[in-house]
Amino acid sequence: MMKFGNLVIAGIVTGSIYAVFAVCVAVWYRVSNILNLAVGDFAMTGALGVDYLSRVENWPLPLSILATLAAVAAFGYCYDRVVLSLAQDRLRRHEGIVVTFFFTFALSFFIEGIAQILFGTNVHAAPALWPGNSLSLGGGLNIERAGILVLACAVISGGMFALYIRYTLSGKAIEASGENYLGARIVGIDTRRYRRSIFVITAVLAGIFGIVESPITGYTYISGAVISLTGFIAAAYGGFRNPARALLAGLAIGVLEALLGGYVSAEYGDTVMYAILAALVLARPRAMGFESAVSN
Amino acid sequence: MAGLGRLITGRARPGGPLTTTGLVVLAGLVVVLAFGQQYAGSVLVLAFTYAIVTTGMAVQIGFSQQIAFSQSVFMGLGAYGAALLNTHLNLPTLAAAPIVMVGSGLLALLLGSVVTRASGLALAVATIMLPLIATGYVSSAGYLGGSVGMPLAGNLWQANSPDLIAAGNGVITVIALGLVVFVASRILNSDVGLELYALGVDERTAASMGISTPRRKLELFVLGSMFASLGGAVYAGTQLFVPATLVGSAAELSLLIMLFVGGRRSIIGAVVGALAVEYVSGASEWVSVNILLVEGALITVVLLVDPEGLAGIAATLRAGLRAGLQARRQGSGGLAEVPGVREPAGAAAAGAVGAAGAAGAAAGAGRLRVSDWEAVAPGAGDVPLLECSGVSKDYGGLHVLDAVSLTLPARGRYGLCGPNGAGKSTLLGVIGGTVSPSAGRVLLSGTDVTGLQPQQRFYLGMSRTFQAVHLITGRTVLDNVAVSCLRSQRSSIAAGIARSRLDEARERAAAALDYLGMRGLAGREVSSLTLESQRMVEFARAIAPRPRLLLLDEPAAGLSEPQRDRLSGVLHALGEVTCVLLVEHDLGLVAQITERIFVLDYGRLVFQGSPAEFNDSAVVNSLLIGQ
Repeated sequence: MMKFGNLVIAGIVTGSIYAVFAVCVAVWYRVSNILNLAVGDFAMTGALGVDYLSRVENWPLPLSILATLAAVAAFGYCYDRVVLSLAQDRLRRHEGIVVTFFFTFALSFFIEGIAQILFGTNVHAAPALWPGNSLSLGGGLNIERAGILVLACAVISGGMFALYIRYTLSGKAIEASGENYLGARIVGIDTRRYRRSIFVITAVLAGIFGIVESPITGYTYISGAVISLTGFIAAAYGGFRNPARALLAGLAIGVLEALLGGYVSAEYGDTVMYAILAALVLARPRAMGFESAVSN
Repeated sequence: MAGLGRLITGRARPGGPLTTTGLVVLAGLVVVLAFGQQYAGSVLVLAFTYAIVTTGMAVQIGFSQQIAFSQSVFMGLGAYGAALLNTHLNLPTLAAAPIVMVGSGLLALLLGSVVTRASGLALAVATIMLPLIATGYVSSAGYLGGSVGMPLAGNLWQANSPDLIAAGNGVITVIALGLVVFVASRILNSDVGLELYALGVDERTAASMGISTPRRKLELFVLGSMFASLGGAVYAGTQLFVPATLVGSAAELSLLIMLFVGGRRSIIGAVVGALAVEYVSGASEWVSVNILLVEGALITVVLLVDPEGLAGIAATLRAGLRAGLQARRQGSGGLAEVPGVREPAGAAAAGAVGAAGAAGAAAGAGRLRVSDWEAVAPGAGDVPLLECSGVSKDYGGLHVLDAVSLTLPARGRYGLCGPNGAGKSTLLGVIGGTVSPSAGRVLLSGTDVTGLQPQQRFYLGMSRTFQAVHLITGRTVLDNVAVSCLRSQRSSIAAGIARSRLDEARERAAAALDYLGMRGLAGREVSSLTLESQRMVEFARAIAPRPRLLLLDEPAAGLSEPQRDRLSGVLHALGEVTCVLLVEHDLGLVAQITERIFVLDYGRLVFQGSPAEFNDSAVVNSLLIGQ
C-alpha cells in the first residue's frame, strides 16, 4: 500500500507536468491549428539555461531565471514573427498537415541543435528552488519538495487558463479563431496576435516548468522531445481542442506510467503504456474526440 | 483538344513509370560506380537506402495523406530480420531481403487491419506509439544487441576484393531503389493511383465516389511497410551493422524530413530528398555533429519557400523557364508581350461551355446518351427505387431528423427544400451513407442498405455531390470526373502495378464532359477553374457513372444564369431516365425543374406535393417565403 501511494504521488507529479504541456498544446492548437511539438524543448531550454547561467557563468539564481525566461520569450516572439507569419500569413498560406506538424517539429530540431552547442550533451538541472530532503506525509508516504512546487505551478497555470478561456472576452476570441481562422478575422479578431501571444506565453510557461521540475529528473539537450511527445499524446486524448480533457489525460498518463514502471517492469513499463494508449485510440476513436480534429 | 487526345491515351503527366525509373537507376549507377568506395560513395549508398523507404512514404503519406508513423519500425524489422537470418542461418542478406519483405508484409497486414481503422490525426497518434513501443523492445532485447545494435557479416554482394564488394553493394542498392520507384510510379499512374489521390483529398468524398477507403488504406500500410523493410534489409547488407537508433521516433522524424524536403507528392522528390538530407549530413564534420540544427533549419527554409519541397521548387522554376522561353519566342515573332496572351484560349473554352452545353444537352449529342441509362437501370416495377422509413438522427439531445419517411420512384426529378438547419443535408447524408441514422431504414429497390458504406451504395447505383466542392487538386478535369468511373472495387494495388484501367475510365469521363459541353476544359488542372466550373466538374463526376439515384446538394449555388439554365436542361433530360433528388434554396429553380417537392422543417417532413401545390401551400409560404 505504501509503495502504491508513493507511486501514485510520483505519478501525479510527472502527470501534472504532462498535463500542463498537454494544455499548452491544446490551447495553442485551438488558436492556430498548429500542434506545438517544440513545447518540451522550451522546458529543456529553461532548465539548462538557468543551470548554465548560474553554474558556469556564476550569475545569481533569480537573475539567471529572469534572463532565461526572457530569452525564451524573445525567441518565441521572433519565431512567430519570422517563420510562422511567413508560413501562415504571407507567401502561400500553408494548409493541412504541413503546417499542423512540420514547422514546430523543425523548430524542435533547431532548438535541440542550439542547446547541444550551448549546453553540451551532459545531464544537468537547474538549482533546486526549494532545497532539502523530500517531505514525509506520514504513513511512509513521501513527496519531493520540487514535486510540491510543480503541483502548485500546475494548479495555478491550469486554473488561469481555464478561467481565461471561460470568462474573458479574449478567451472567447481565441476559441473563435481556432474554429474558423478567416471568419474570426472578418469579425475583427486579430488571430495573428492571439497566435503570437499564446505561443510566447506557453513557451515561457514550459520554461518555468523545466526550471522547477529539473531537480527531480535532470535534463539533456534532447529531453524536450519526450516531453513534447507525451504532451502531444495527452492533448490527443482531448481531441487537441479540449484543454480540460487534455489536463486529465496528462495526469492519467503520468500515474499510469509510474504504476506500470513500479509494478510491471521498469524496463518494459513504457512499452506497455504506449501499447495501452494505442489500443485506446483504436478502440474508441470517436470517444477520444479524434473526429474532425484535422480537416484537409 | 490535342491535349485531350494525349490525356486519353494515358500520358497525363510527363515521365511515365519507365522514364522515372530509368532516370533514377541510370543516375544512381553512374554515381555509385564513379565514386566507388570513396566516402562520397558510401554516403550515396546510404542515401539511396533511405530513398527506398521515402518512396513508399511518398505514396502513403504524400499522395494519400495517410500519416502513419510506422516506417522506422518496419525498416528496423527488415534490418534486424536480415541480420538475424544472416547471422544464425547463414543466409546471404540478398536472399534474406525478400523473406523479410514478405514477413513484414504479413505483419503489416495484421497490424494494419487494426491501425488503419483510424483516420486522420487518430491514425497519426495511434501509429506514433509504434516506434515508441519498438524502441522500448529493441533497446532491452539482448539478442538484438540491446541499446547499441547488432553487427552482421554478410554483404549484399559477396566478392573477394573490397572494391568489388562496395561496387556490388552499390549496384544492388540502386537496383532495389529502381524497383521500388517503378512500382510506386506504376501505381500512381494507374486507376488505383487516381483513387489514392482522391483518398488524399477527403476520405468521405472518396467513399462516396465508390472508393473502398478501408481497403486502400490497408493496402497502403502494407505497401509502405514492405518498402521500408526492403530499405532495412539493404541497410543491413551495406552497413554491416544495425544500430538500435534505426528504430524510434527520432529515426521516424528523419525519414519524414527527407520526404518533406524532397517534396511529399513526388517520387523523384522523395529520392532527391533522401539524397539531399543524407548528403548534407555527411558533408562536413561540423554538420554531422550539429545535424539537428541543420535539419531543423533546412526543413523550415524549404517548406517556407514551397510546401511541396524541392520538387515543388523545381516545378515552379521549370514553369517559369517555360513561360520565359515562350515569351521570348513570341517576342521575336513580332508579337507584343501582352501579359495573359495565353488567356483567350482558356476563356474561349470556358465560353464554349455555356454555348455548347445548352445545345449538347438539348440535342443529346454527346456520347453519354440518355438511352445509355436504360441498360443500367431497368425499370424496377412496382418496387420504389428509394424508400426511407422513419429515419431519425440525433446529435446528443438535438433531433436533426425526426421520423422522416419518403418514397421515390425509379425516374423523375424531386426537390428537397426547407429553411437553414432543417436537416436537408443530413437526410441526403443518411441516404448516401455518410451519416448513420439513429433510427429508421433506407431501402434501395427494396433492399435494405441502412448498414452499407457509401462506397457500397455507390456500386448499387447511388451518386452524389456535396455542398462544398471537393476536387482533386493537381489533377485534370478529366481525371476528376474519371474517379467515379473507375469501377475498381475489386482490383487491388497489386493489380494497379500490373495493368492500368485508367484509360477506359477516362473515356467514360470524356463522354460525360461531352454531354455537358465541357470537353474544352478536360485538360485543365481543376484548381485553375472558377468556382462555378468546379461545381460543374463535380456534377459531371456525379452523373458520369450513370447512377440510378442522383443526389445533388445545392447544385445551382454559385452558378451563373446561363449555367443554371443549362443545368436545368440537363436535369430535365436526366429525370427521364433516372431518379434525381436535389436539395436547393432557389425555390424558382426547384419549382421549374422538379415534379414533386418535399419540405423539411426542424427535421420533420411538413409538406410534399407538386410544384403547383407547393406554390399555393400556406405551410410552405410561411416557412420559406415568410408570408
